[in-house]
Amino acid sequence: MIESVEFRNLKALRDTTLPLGRFTLIVGPNGSGKSTALWALLAAGNMGLLEFNKIATAGLGAYNNVSLVLRWGGTFAGNVTHVTWGQNDEPVRQTDFNEELSGDAIKVVNDRLDNILSAIRIYSFDAPSIAAPTSLEPHMTLGWNGRNLAGVLHQLRDAEPERFNALNEEVARWLPEFEQILFETHLGGPQSFLLRTREGHHKIQASELSQGTLIALALLTLAYIPDPPPIVCLEEPDRGIHPRLLREVLDVMYRLSYPENYGDKRDPVQVIATTHSPYLLDLFKDHPEEVVIANKIDQDVHFERLSDREDLDEILGDAQLSDVWYSGILGGVPTHP
Amino acid sequence: MKVTVLSESPADEAAVRILVDGLLGSPTESIPPPPLRTRGWSTVLSVLPGTINHLYYRTDADALVIVVDADNSTPHQRQHDLPDSANDQCRLCQLRSLAVKTLSKLKEMPTRSRLKTAIGLAIPAIEAWYRYQIDPHAIEVDLIRRPDAGTRALRNQLKQDVYGTDQPGSEMSIARAREEATRLVQIIDDFERLFPNGFGALARDIRSW
Repeated sequence: MIESVEFRNLKALRDTTLPLGRFTLIVGPNGSGKSTALWALLAAGNMGLLEFNKIATAGLGAYNNVSLVLRWGGTFAGNVTHVTWGQNDEPVRQTDFNEELSGDAIKVVNDRLDNILSAIRIYSFDAPSIAAPTSLEPHMTLGWNGRNLAGVLHQLRDAEPERFNALNEEVARWLPEFEQILFETHLGGPQSFLLRTREGHHKIQASELSQGTLIALALLTLAYIPDPPPIVCLEEPDRGIHPRLLREVLDVMYRLSYPENYGDKRDPVQVIATTHSPYLLDLFKDHPEEVVIANKIDQDVHFERLSDREDLDEILGDAQLSDVWYSGILGGVPTHP
Repeated sequence: MKVTVLSESPADEAAVRILVDGLLGSPTESIPPPPLRTRGWSTVLSVLPGTINHLYYRTDADALVIVVDADNSTPHQRQHDLPDSANDQCRLCQLRSLAVKTLSKLKEMPTRSRLKTAIGLAIPAIEAWYRYQIDPHAIEVDLIRRPDAGTRALRNQLKQDVYGTDQPGSEMSIARAREEATRLVQIIDDFERLFPNGFGALARDIRSW
């Protein structure tokens, strides 16, 4: 697990640290570096994704670098990975290892950290990509926008029928009008999925399903596949989903982060999600340590863990967390208008 | 009897309905879906008048039951029930006062019987009820006197005790809520005696119907 990421000279993230837990929800105004932080994390494992000239803070001097410092926790506590992009140099990633490690142990840890970083994924689901037919291939994975969902579901059905059945049950709980995920093969081989209605057993093509239904299905699938990425970044997972289903959205994210609470035996996934939804934020009343506020002041952004506010309980009083956030008292809101 | 439960979550609703059925001695019916829901204390007060109006004029509900968590607010006390003694820091007193005011404004209709109400307060949260007779200190008086009474830390500890985690999933929450409420119904008189203010108020309201 990554405990924190320090950013230097990365667009609006000139000098700030993002604290992370097994689950972290980031709230903040548009342009407050939420997506930048997620993409930088993705680039820590695939440095070629970012180019110095496109990511450097405006006005940065020629001799300054853009850098990330990733502090690891849990099993990897004490290790610190530095990632640097310079104007004229190749990007560099290098880890300072825990002093207790030596020899082969360093190599093992280094390989594992590299594997984790290269397996980080960002998901920003959009309905047309989720609904698009897919050509079946071995070892299909869900695309960043939800592409390949039909293939991933098909693979889950064949390779992990118990998980597929559990997913079907969960879909029926979220969306009681549906009872079963089905598949259809098009001419030439591409596969698409359908949902069968509970009443009348009508088969609804993926392309005819609502945006919220498709996003819910992509999120649920991510939580039910047996080998999700070790770190998952979700951009606005609540998009298009009814506020009353946000508790279920949280369940999906918690199923990834805390599988033991859901009877799932796989390794926990570190989840970092962003949102603008006050209703989703309200679900964190008792877990302010999982919320990070992105404060944008002029061109500068600072992250602050909500539980680090010493006056939090006094500020909250009887109010909803969302109302207090909206008021601006906690920060994380546009400075204009 | 058609009873609507206004609650913060499906888990709370499931438990409250079982307790109401236990107090009445027979199963209640729900009005057609969707179930009514609030997003926490601060929204309960704002939606209560509309809820009462909706139930009275647009449904055939016989009664409305509301149960909220006390969190860190003033716990309800029997002396609040005395004339002119309602405490405006007590959530149960606030809800009761608003319900009485709203009910008094309803127009009498020949085809419609009075809408009954019952209000309960879980001190500090409904998970405290689920610990009754499992943890000997899970009784109202002890929960109020604890140095950490009403704090987030205590609420999360109660969740940990009930669910084995302070981040339970919905399905597990509903299953545990049903399980514990069913257990409490078997010992409901003792439960009411040791949760005399928050649950007791609800029980007294329901018995008065």
